[in-house]
Amino acid sequence: MKRLNATGCESCPAYAGLEQMGLRADHFDRVVALAGNPNTGKSTLFNLLTGLKQHTGNWPGKTVTRAEGGYQFRGVRYKLVDLPGTYSLLSASQDEEVARDFILFGRPDCVIVVADATALERNLNLAFQVMEITEKVVIAVNLMDEARRKGLEVDTRLLSRELGVPCVPISARRGEGIYDLLSTVADVIEGRIQTHPRRIQGTPEFQQAVERLVPLIEKLAPGVPNARWIAIRLLDGDAHVQEALLSGELLRRVARQRQAETSFSRKMAVEGRQ
Amino acid sequence: MSESEMLAQEVLREAERLRRSLSGNFRDEMVKSLYTEAERVARRAVRPIGERKYDLDRLLDRLVTSPWTGLPIMLLLLAVIIWITVVGANIPSELLAQLLFGIEAFAADLFTAWGAPWWLTGFLWHGVWRGLAWVISVMLPPMAIFFPLFTFLEDLGYLPRVAFNLDWLFKKAGAHGKQALSMAMGFGCNAAGVIATRVIDSPRERLVAILTNNFVPCNGRFPTLIMLATIFVAASFPPLLSSFVAAATVLAVVLIGIGFTFLMSWLLTRTLLRGEASAFTLELPPYRPPNVWRILYTSLIDRTIFVLWRAMQTAAPAGALIWILGNVYLGPMSLAQRLAAFLNPLGHLLGLDGAILLAYVIAIPANEIVVPTLLMIYMGTGMMTELPSLNMLKELLVQQHGWTLLTAINLMLFSLLHNPCATTILTIYKETGSKKWATWSVIVTLGSAFVVTFLVATLARTIFRQ
Amino acid sequence: MTGMIALLVLLSLIVLFPRYGAWAQLRRWRFLRQREQVEDALKHLLSREQEGRHASLESLAGCLGLSTARTLRLIEEMQKQNLVEWQGRRLHLTPQGERWALHVVRAHRLWERYLADEARMPLEKIHAEAHRREHGLSEAELDALEAALGHPSHDPHGDPIPDEGAAAGQPEGIELTRWDLDRPARIVHLEDEPELALAQILASGLRLGQIVRVIERTPQRIVLSDGENEYRLAPAVAANIYVVEAHRVEKAPGAIPLSRLPQGQEAEVVEIDPSVQGFTRRRFLDLGLTPGARVVPELSNFFGDPRAYRLRGTLIALRQDQAEKIWVRRSQNNPTEAL
Repeated sequence: MKRLNATGCESCPAYAGLEQMGLRADHFDRVVALAGNPNTGKSTLFNLLTGLKQHTGNWPGKTVTRAEGGYQFRGVRYKLVDLPGTYSLLSASQDEEVARDFILFGRPDCVIVVADATALERNLNLAFQVMEITEKVVIAVNLMDEARRKGLEVDTRLLSRELGVPCVPISARRGEGIYDLLSTVADVIEGRIQTHPRRIQGTPEFQQAVERLVPLIEKLAPGVPNARWIAIRLLDGDAHVQEALLSGELLRRVARQRQAETSFSRKMAVEGRQ
Repeated sequence: MSESEMLAQEVLREAERLRRSLSGNFRDEMVKSLYTEAERVARRAVRPIGERKYDLDRLLDRLVTSPWTGLPIMLLLLAVIIWITVVGANIPSELLAQLLFGIEAFAADLFTAWGAPWWLTGFLWHGVWRGLAWVISVMLPPMAIFFPLFTFLEDLGYLPRVAFNLDWLFKKAGAHGKQALSMAMGFGCNAAGVIATRVIDSPRERLVAILTNNFVPCNGRFPTLIMLATIFVAASFPPLLSSFVAAATVLAVVLIGIGFTFLMSWLLTRTLLRGEASAFTLELPPYRPPNVWRILYTSLIDRTIFVLWRAMQTAAPAGALIWILGNVYLGPMSLAQRLAAFLNPLGHLLGLDGAILLAYVIAIPANEIVVPTLLMIYMGTGMMTELPSLNMLKELLVQQHGWTLLTAINLMLFSLLHNPCATTILTIYKETGSKKWATWSVIVTLGSAFVVTFLVATLARTIFRQ
Repeated sequence: MTGMIALLVLLSLIVLFPRYGAWAQLRRWRFLRQREQVEDALKHLLSREQEGRHASLESLAGCLGLSTARTLRLIEEMQKQNLVEWQGRRLHLTPQGERWALHVVRAHRLWERYLADEARMPLEKIHAEAHRREHGLSEAELDALEAALGHPSHDPHGDPIPDEGAAAGQPEGIELTRWDLDRPARIVHLEDEPELALAQILASGLRLGQIVRVIERTPQRIVLSDGENEYRLAPAVAANIYVVEAHRVEKAPGAIPLSRLPQGQEAEVVEIDPSVQGFTRRRFLDLGLTPGARVVPELSNFFGDPRAYRLRGTLIALRQDQAEKIWVRRSQNNPTEAL
């Protein structure tokens, strides 16, 4: 297990408590997913945390499949899953499907949304979509240094308040803010930080339609964690979700989850979509 | 039907009913409210501080995409990278070759001293080992130079700008602008170029890029092109001009290759790969200072070693085969010479000869070993061979084997257009997951090579012989 | 002798082999061919009924291009399947026949939507191609196609796509040739047959959803204006354009296509043209091209196509033929930067 002094940041407090585990992610306690737009430094963060050297290039659409690695923080082993960079989870292009299915069915313990501080608006669109699916979200506002250079300041405390989930300023390239990020992730997973993600209201018509569907879905699959999101997807005519509903896939997942609440998320994370 | 299934059906019906009852387009409204909310939050959380410094990104972007500087900068960069690669690879190639062939000689001597039969020594060391050694020594240095340079441009964020500059041309050919990236990568190695097509998200346009990638000459084919341009085209010019003429000839061949890329893309999208064009969107990401260690790691481990390993897997058996063909005799001629004689009529039809065709067939693992194999067949030696000087080479080709300017030009064209090397075919098979497309990649390229060389040969003969 | 026998065996195998033999192929081909004819006949009857006219033996024969005798045989076959019935000399669809006819219409229009949106075929070509593809699809396959296309409501010519089982809306609006002079009209439907007329309409630059006025009508020509350009059409061509009263102002005043926005000029997205549907529309939306979003054309290359736009903090390149479909309005405030 390599301490992170090879990168030349021995005195850096940011790294206290972090141990990279590279590919040895077979025995882990928690699963964390990395989501974000293309070109937000997601892979830089992934490589920094795991000590791996995954190449993505400054070129959108490079990571088509998800990469996995591990890190250990305060004695807890985390499996880190790098999802393809996408602008949205709605289009159902191949990489968007991979990302969405993992967040939904892989049931990670926490999703880190890496956001580009210089184009926050675009990045928050994805953050909102992730927050529709799961509550356990931490937003890593990356490229803070670049934003400052461009004459922009991001108020992450206000952002946290507005979004209802913790937002941590980081600079993955310089390794700034990593400790904060990891301890926030740990706190969210352990429930020391309660998240109340802000959800999109939409038009009254939209709300009514969603409210009519949610009880039906809850009746069909009691205990389903994100009935609201499923309702929205059904209203949008998402063939994938319709299929999961009809084939009973959704029911099976919910049932299995209740049976083995603790081991479920880990198992699914390994299996991914299958 | 179980109760839950009926319930599921009911949920779907209700969703269907609600969807139709909503005014406007559901998706439009939903995305709009998402973005509106994102915009509102972002506006509150982001504050401008102080005066914004001059935006270097914008200046750079204007420079590399503007109508008058964009294309020249691009061509210049490409030329510089190819030049550095070709020139810079010479010395390390030489050293590697000395080392590896030294090992061969030493090991062969050792085997002989131990009393091993000649065929075992020959097969193992002059066949298998020599094939490997040749591929490594000519392939490794150029790739180790080309890939880091290329990865540097990639990490910097320049490549999407190239796609942006050239998209119009690709659009006319029915392809995607990002094909510019895989094409540029193809100059380093076509197998790597095929892998690079992953950035194209539409399957159809990706296939177009894969099937046409071989039309740009890779590192392995540049030495052949340069050699031919130097001793056949440039030789008739005065020494001062000759190196310019040689460079211009190689450039012309490269441009013909790029022209063919467009032509075949155009043809493919109108025949084999019709319809289903995807929406074109291309993000031009901000420039980012590349991380040197990451570049070296990626280009050397992920790309160079990866490609080299695939090449070695095919080079070893090919080395063995080449040795067998050169050393098994039927009567006075070796198997290789017999096959060359058999292929001669076809070769002649294409303005080449049988030995050249045979060399291309058996040297399929890597373009680098085509010329050594050719020399082996010509000289009747039992192993792949090199000649110490260009003059000797020219003498051998012209005096003894009747090469003309037509032979040289057609060989350049054939080298440019012919089928991908085994490594690339293997990569195409792995990337597309289908034997069909791997086969098509051969048909498309080999077909063009035959047609073009045949036409040129026939044309030249009609004009000059009558 | 043995050679002859072998040849015979081989020949009979080629002809009689189950499923792959020539005979089986021929039978299947004839079966499919007949099914196509039945489906085309059903469509003809449906469209006649929707127009309030009645189909007859002659009209059907003319539409299918068959002899009267063969048409009669076809009708007999359809009667056997309980799809049509005679009422005097008039031919009518049975409820079952109508259901099937609607199914075919739905298949046709969904395919048109697919070809226009996902395959991006030119609009004047899609009718013929959809016609080839519309046959032999099951209900489930159509549902899957519809879901994949994001449940579109209209085909690219503006005709409503029928739901499963529901009645097909007949094309709304009346022919442009019957529209009053100077009364604003919205184009709701472009008849897809004959192909030549549609190609002419599209070539003139007229689009679905456009607001026009008839400013001149003579037996030789009809002149339209959208306030900016004038369009001249032969009356026979104009009869293929269906319009309705332009109730609301469809395009905000001053809306121009993004492709025509000058470099460096900031603008606000008004809407994505309704003709853009399916995957392309979803992609545009996801990129943030929603109404109200601000865009600035920032970069252009040697060919002037594509151009790159600053949109929500990111540079996105779009081809001109795509940017043409995005309507924007110039912002009141100054260009962000005059470089």
